[in-house]
Amino acid sequence: MRNLLHDMNPSLKFVLVALSMFAIAFFFNPLTPFIFWIGILLLQVFMSKVNWKAWSLFMLPFALGAFGYLWTTIVFAADTNGDVVWSFLEFQVTAEQLETALSLAFRVMAFSTLSLMFAFTTDPVKFIMSLMQQLKLSPKLAYGVLVGYQFLPVMKDQFQQIQQAHRLRGAELEKNALRRLLGMRRILIPMLAGAVRNAERSAFAMEARGFTGEARSDYFEVIKLRKVDAAMTAVFLLLLIASCSAEYWF
Amino acid sequence: MLKSWKLKEVVLMSLFAVVFGIVYLVFVHVSNIWAAVIGPLAYEWMFGIWFIVSIICMNIIRKPGAAVLSESMAAAIEVLLGNAVGPRLLLSGIVQGLGAEAAFALTGYKHFNLAVLMLAGAGSAVFSFVYGYFISGYAALDPSFVALMFTLRVISGMAIAGIGGKFISDGLLATGSLRGYAISRSTKGDARA
Repeated sequence: MRNLLHDMNPSLKFVLVALSMFAIAFFFNPLTPFIFWIGILLLQVFMSKVNWKAWSLFMLPFALGAFGYLWTTIVFAADTNGDVVWSFLEFQVTAEQLETALSLAFRVMAFSTLSLMFAFTTDPVKFIMSLMQQLKLSPKLAYGVLVGYQFLPVMKDQFQQIQQAHRLRGAELEKNALRRLLGMRRILIPMLAGAVRNAERSAFAMEARGFTGEARSDYFEVIKLRKVDAAMTAVFLLLLIASCSAEYWF
Repeated sequence: MLKSWKLKEVVLMSLFAVVFGIVYLVFVHVSNIWAAVIGPLAYEWMFGIWFIVSIICMNIIRKPGAAVLSESMAAAIEVLLGNAVGPRLLLSGIVQGLGAEAAFALTGYKHFNLAVLMLAGAGSAVFSFVYGYFISGYAALDPSFVALMFTLRVISGMAIAGIGGKFISDGLLATGSLRGYAISRSTKGDARA
């Protein structure tokens, strides 16, 4: 039970996440995103093994963003008719305004939770492999992305080397934040030039080992659609339908 | 479409996507915190940052698809890094890339001067705004506020992505590492301005 979300086919999970987002985006009542948000949270509690400490840390900026959304939507609402429920200095907040504001804030929370669910339960390499096998992504692109992924630690080393080289030559780290931002060019250009060389080298190496980039039918790591996936699709769609029709029940 | 692409061009896009994927992530976190204070307006003036990879890659590779593929790849790399925004980024990356791609397609993939790059930045801004209008529900906001957001985003797309992209790709061209890519083969007066 606790493995269900982790075991799901990554492409299918991606499609379901995208589908739910597009569906929820049509609703401007607070109930729909709220129910969906709670539903996704429950799914995560019962069907995944998530490190909740890390989860809260990632969720914090989104919660802050949702708060920002809440107050801008109240202040800059399109629809300012209706009964005033709350007034503060010169602002008068109507029931309608509060409702849309809550809806958009819950939407931010729901989408963030949904995204976190995907991020916390999906193995990145399997995701790309599954995109190639289930959604017919071109192997040239899929393996291209994986090369980039494998180069991450190399890039980190390069970044440190360039910084050290600058320091050796007496270039001090700028204290002014704006100057430091503009000085990013000094790091960015050598990083990109290094990236160009690495790209050429690894592409050459891949071709030398017989990689053609053509579509294939056999894979070393096979990722399948299984019965669990059908069940999980049903669960997601039920939750989606329940939250989209929430307005009519209450 | 991919038949005419060399593998080294695909891998180049991917490695650029890694470099800019990290830059993008830093800015996502900065603006998220910023957004709590001033709301969605926080993202608008720096939105151009997120379009820059498509413009740089297209300027270097100059093949149909370079803009949309590189932007989607940058988004994919962000997802691979275990980023919290995850699948949502992939969708918005594709949309933004399509915006830049549309601008280049409009000019027939023939001109890559500053004006066209700025147009591509504006294209990304327009596409991503239409997508954001739908997915983030801007319809609920005051139209004049939405207009302000839109203007800021287009200006940011043109300035940061267009001019910034030109600036970075020219700097890179000067290092000489781009021999073997279309940008070095272009005739004088077209892109080497």
